[in-house]
Amino acid sequence: QFSERSIRLSNGVNEDHPNGKGVEKFRTCLADKSGGKLKVQGFWGNALGGDLQATQALRSGTQEMVVTSSSPLIGILPELGVFDLPFLFANEQEADAVLDGSFGKHIDAKLEGAGLVNLAYWENGFRNLTNSRRPVEKWEDFKGLKVRVMQNNVFLDTFKNMGANAVPMAFGEVFTALETKAIDGQENPFVTIDTSKFYEVQKYLSVTRHAYTPFLVLYSKKLWDGLSKDEQAALRECAVVARDEQRKVSRELSQASLNKIKGAGIVVNELNAQEAQRMREQAKPVWEKHAATIGSETVKMMQDELEKIRKK
Amino acid sequence: MTIVVFLASLLGAMALGMPIAFALVVCALALMLWLGNFDSQIVAQNMIIGADNFQLLAVPFFLLAGELMNVGGLSKRIVNFALSCLGHIHGGLGYVAIVAALILAALSGSAAADTAALAAILIPMMRDAGYNLPRSAGLIAAGGIIAPVIPPSIGFIIFGVAANVSISQLFLAGIVPGLMMGISLVVAWAIVSRKDKMQTSPRTTMRERGKAFLDGFFALLMPVLILGGIKWGIVTPTEAAVLAAVYALVIGMFVYRELKPSMLYGVFLTAAKTTAVVMFLVAAALVSAWLITQANIPGEISGLIQPLMGNKTLLMFALMFLVVIVGTALDFSPTVLILTPVLMPIVKQAGIDPVYFGVLFIINNAIGLITPPVGIVLNVVSGVARVPMGAVIRGVNPFLIAQLVVLVLLILIPELVTVPLAWLRGR
Amino acid sequence: MSRIVDWFFKALEALLVLLLASMVVMVFGNVLLRYLFDTGIDVSEELSRYFFVWLTFIGAVVVGRENAHLGVETLVARLGDRGRKLCMILSDLLIIVCCAVFFWGTWQQAEINATNYAPITEISMLWIYGVGFFTSIGLGILALLRILRVLTGTISEHELKAFAGDYSDDAAHALRERLE
Ligand code: NA
Ligand code: NA
Repeated sequence: QFSERSIRLSNGVNEDHPNGKGVEKFRTCLADKSGGKLKVQGFWGNALGGDLQATQALRSGTQEMVVTSSSPLIGILPELGVFDLPFLFANEQEADAVLDGSFGKHIDAKLEGAGLVNLAYWENGFRNLTNSRRPVEKWEDFKGLKVRVMQNNVFLDTFKNMGANAVPMAFGEVFTALETKAIDGQENPFVTIDTSKFYEVQKYLSVTRHAYTPFLVLYSKKLWDGLSKDEQAALRECAVVARDEQRKVSRELSQASLNKIKGAGIVVNELNAQEAQRMREQAKPVWEKHAATIGSETVKMMQDELEKIRKK
Repeated sequence: MTIVVFLASLLGAMALGMPIAFALVVCALALMLWLGNFDSQIVAQNMIIGADNFQLLAVPFFLLAGELMNVGGLSKRIVNFALSCLGHIHGGLGYVAIVAALILAALSGSAAADTAALAAILIPMMRDAGYNLPRSAGLIAAGGIIAPVIPPSIGFIIFGVAANVSISQLFLAGIVPGLMMGISLVVAWAIVSRKDKMQTSPRTTMRERGKAFLDGFFALLMPVLILGGIKWGIVTPTEAAVLAAVYALVIGMFVYRELKPSMLYGVFLTAAKTTAVVMFLVAAALVSAWLITQANIPGEISGLIQPLMGNKTLLMFALMFLVVIVGTALDFSPTVLILTPVLMPIVKQAGIDPVYFGVLFIINNAIGLITPPVGIVLNVVSGVARVPMGAVIRGVNPFLIAQLVVLVLLILIPELVTVPLAWLRGR
Repeated sequence: MSRIVDWFFKALEALLVLLLASMVVMVFGNVLLRYLFDTGIDVSEELSRYFFVWLTFIGAVVVGRENAHLGVETLVARLGDRGRKLCMILSDLLIIVCCAVFFWGTWQQAEINATNYAPITEISMLWIYGVGFFTSIGLGILALLRILRVLTGTISEHELKAFAGDYSDDAAHALRERLE
């Protein structure tokens, strides 16, 4: 049972981001399953407002879908702060296992309580640090760096805890601020560092992999309840089909971006295992400090889940 | 077809004389009804979020700085300095007006305030020296509109936020075109005033010039602080704005001692009210912008002008022509706010550099301030100089043409914007 | 009654000044702290934004009372008194419609704003978005009162002139000249 519907889907990123491929896959899959009745109208680069604004529009039922990073939504659902915790996942496989497993379902249920139906977790990629001062090889190297970070308490505390000077700034000003050296560095996934051309105005890229905030593929609960069972099933299935495509592209592009950044002459350093472990230890107080606001049950569940995976 | 609904509702509501902010909301309501997705929450949410933006905080701060500058005697000293250097040459007060306009432009973000300050000081002097009054008034009006082109600029801030373009880059990109506008005025003034009979003031000694320079030193230092601060990465535009306000306050109060503590309340109140006017408009424009995007009006327009899409120069000519036409009838910020969401996707699609477009767009909007029938700067000069509106419109013509020539040059040779910008950015 | 209203608006003006002054202190203070002591106050960015929202939407009502919102008067200026009054009523009716939609939207959104907390200060976003109630009611009442003045014939010559863009005898004139 399918009706003619135009689904407005907004994105904070531009269409050349892996999400572009994900949305394309989602669109063709839906067209396939619905006989062309479910159409997806994509909006890119915050054209319909920022992630938080779009998500609020979903909650009020004025827009159907958004693909948003989890971080801007912690004001709506504090539990999402769990994904902002520093050095959460060690690699992509861990992230996939946790997000696609029972922990992902746990968060989905909470989101539904806030008026949001999460169809899948897409990949934003590990966040890494770039700066113009020095390669960051151990946690002491963070000291005194002026770094633009996202505006939320977990990120702010993570960087403060490292001794860095966390500076809030609109994304649109970051390039110029790096260029004029108003700030020393910023932290983002490889793809963003590439597409925003930050590598042109930075000297060092340190593969810190300090955070992994997934993309949520959200549907308005208010509007979801008005869909037929078939439509709901098609949306869920296609979001997952698109997820696999999006993650594949994201990982390929991530590698391609890293190569391009290296080719541009930026100095890239990986953390050695010992220093990575020290950073992980160093970040513990941030976990402890925010466990209560995030919800100790959720944090505990995440820890158990990770332990289970790491034992295998 | 959607475009007809958009234009009819917007123009219809404005024709009734209602505030443009509400006309924009009316336009949004009409678009929602037309698209069949009427929901009052769209209005409420987009309205408030339109003002919830840290970058826009530069607007009240620069407005406050401008108020403090005029009240604190900074503007006056800048004119005095220019006068001591240029007063003695033929038509000297005209050149003084241009130079003072350029310096004031580097201190303040809005044209009308600069024009008012210039006209109040210079028009009486020009009248006494036997200058052709409508022509002098026209020159001052045309000089005043350089303010939003040379940073700081409220126009660049609003455009930068609406178009998601770096305000710092817009600021740096505006400097050279702003100077070109000044030069074009010098040429035009030299031509039109060459046969006029007017008195020149006696040549000043180097000592007197030095004294005028020292007296105005702290005022002249302000552009260095603002531009240098941004250029050398010491501050972001928002921070530069708050520094400018604090600096003007300190200099006006403790160095020039013309700003009395008792005046502060009034100055802050005026800046706050002006902010409310501008920002309420910005907020309402976000509601209509959201629906313009949803309804894909830019797509509809680029479909209509498809033949132009392949030729950047022709497209720029067409867009700039449109802005000139709209600018005759609309004030500066409404034009920026209404046209940005409509034109920006087209500009991007055509592969035109957004910063380059932004500079020309703001110059064009500034020119709109001196084109009749609606040109607030013309009203300001006419009011302050006590010259009839018709005479000011005649007087401004040669200078209006000079600035349109600059605009055409910039369309034909984009490098005039991009090369200096690259140099200023040091790359 | 009108004295109470005047006092009310005087108080609002004082609030606007206070908000703007606090914004200056917070943003300037943060710049100083960052450059002198390599530190900053986390809440200052967020709080100054919220003050800005309040300043804008409380200020919109104050400025609305002074008739100083930007409008295009070219056409209205060509009309006689009857035409101007008609346009005034029509435009005020539309304003009331806009305010009603704004109010209703704020009302419907109250729930989702009340359950969204600011990332740093962690205050409920209803404090920010709720200002829509004040602005929609304030500007709606101003429009309603003006319609009543037109209908009862108590509208002043001066107000009609201002509506048509002739600000020659209006204090708000000075304000408008600072805008562009
Ligand atoms: Na300026
Ligand atoms: Na005009």
